[in-house]
Amino acid sequence: MAGKSLPVINPVDREYWAGAAKGELRLQRCRACGVLQFFPRAACTGCLSSDLEWVPVSGRGKVHTFSLCRVPRNRAFMDEVPICVAEVELEEGVRMVTRIVGDNRDQVTLGAPVSVVFMDTEDADIKLPVFELA
Amino acid sequence: MLRKKVCLVGYGSTEYSRKSDRPLLSYYAEAMQNAMAQTGITKKEINGFSMVTQASPDYSPYVAEQLGLELDWVLNGDCGGAGAVCAIRRAADAIEAGYLDLAFIVAGNAFDKNVAHQRVLEYQRANYVDVYGYGGPNTLFALVQRRHMEEYGTTLEQIGKIAVSQRHNAGPNPQALLRAPMTIEDYLNSRLISDPIRLFDCVMPCSGGECVVVASEERAKQITDKPVYLVTDAEKIGFQASNMLPDKTVTGMSVVGQHLFSEMSRDNIDVLAIYDDYPIAVMMQLEDLGYCAKGQGGPFVDDHDLTFAGDFPVNTGGGEISVGQAGLAGGMLHVVEALRQLRGEAGERQVKAAETALVTGIGWLSYARNLNTTAALILERRS
Ligand SMILES: [Zn+2]
Repeated sequence: MAGKSLPVINPVDREYWAGAAKGELRLQRCRACGVLQFFPRAACTGCLSSDLEWVPVSGRGKVHTFSLCRVPRNRAFMDEVPICVAEVELEEGVRMVTRIVGDNRDQVTLGAPVSVVFMDTEDADIKLPVFELA
Repeated sequence: MLRKKVCLVGYGSTEYSRKSDRPLLSYYAEAMQNAMAQTGITKKEINGFSMVTQASPDYSPYVAEQLGLELDWVLNGDCGGAGAVCAIRRAADAIEAGYLDLAFIVAGNAFDKNVAHQRVLEYQRANYVDVYGYGGPNTLFALVQRRHMEEYGTTLEQIGKIAVSQRHNAGPNPQALLRAPMTIEDYLNSRLISDPIRLFDCVMPCSGGECVVVASEERAKQITDKPVYLVTDAEKIGFQASNMLPDKTVTGMSVVGQHLFSEMSRDNIDVLAIYDDYPIAVMMQLEDLGYCAKGQGGPFVDDHDLTFAGDFPVNTGGGEISVGQAGLAGGMLHVVEALRQLRGEAGERQVKAAETALVTGIGWLSYARNLNTTAALILERRS
């Protein structure tokens, strides 16, 4: 049986996953125009420059929206339902799709402050940035 | 921009099924045959062909070879749920330019294990969304609907009224897979899938096919005494794509609507065919098209009768949530229903004096945003 979905790490997002594995949340910033962006891309969404750097961010933010998912697309996740899939707005002004973990995830509300933690996966080298209620 | 000399002259549908093992191309072929029978067009006359597809190895020239088509124009329509509307726009461009005078546009779906139609997740969804155990489009629309409910006070009853009205509309539609009456209680009590999205918000995947025939005005007059004209059309792709703090409840249809309704008053539309992968998507489009202010979709739905006999007929055949979603034929289904209404061929569900229709198409949700593709057509029957 297929396992839980894992990222296929590639040259564009290698630094993102390397940061996560070390407990650091990193975003791309454009050296040409300063735009901070997520998800990782080959070029800047502001000016199309390929001169991008990786910067660590606070990992603090607030919940923009969420859903308690009971039927995951990949059924390997069924042992974890309901899964609180959320969009978190980071203090730095970028939104991420992520997951809220913890036994109190049924108390998540819009605007609730959250902070990043890094979750183990079935691959010892890959950790997922997820969030907990702060 | 107003179109002048492009018509939709016919259509063909197949039956829909949840269990068939027919191959996809047999649905394409049957939908085309039905359109040929309706229009009297022979296979040799077809010089333009487009198939609307998402992720498949079947490039359109290969499919043309399979179907034995010799063509002057071919197009692989790739805008997801907006693909049908977008392909009709591209065909209209080519017809106006004089490259061809007749295009058959098909879409469909099959559970055909012999062909690799397995949909590939686009890269950003695979690496940054799927890894969290999300529930596909059900979860992505749940994230949008939660925002709409919290920001504007939209209720489940208001959203559910769209589903209930469309099920009523499906009652007299023999093509619909879900025709049994449904109450608002049935809707509210349906199983949570990815809250607040529940079972009766979701489309049912099925197999089937649809075909639409686009022609120059000159050809149209030879083919039918019921030509339906393409009045105007527009699209917006990647709305808010470079905004890292996008407005989660607004779609590109807000821009599309401005284009369309600068040419014709929205109050002159008799029939609305609004792409309905989820009821919340219908509500957001009505807002963005300017039928009410942003966030007022709930009260708007309360104030109107959305059934085929009502003052604001939406998805008069039941829409995708009642008929079934045969892949990207879901977008074509709305075009075909509009043509049935405008040609007076909708039977028991016929809207009286239907002369104009709005057809929308929308496609997948961008990362942390709203719809990526949005497109729409205004059609008019002229005798
Ligand atoms: Zn830049």
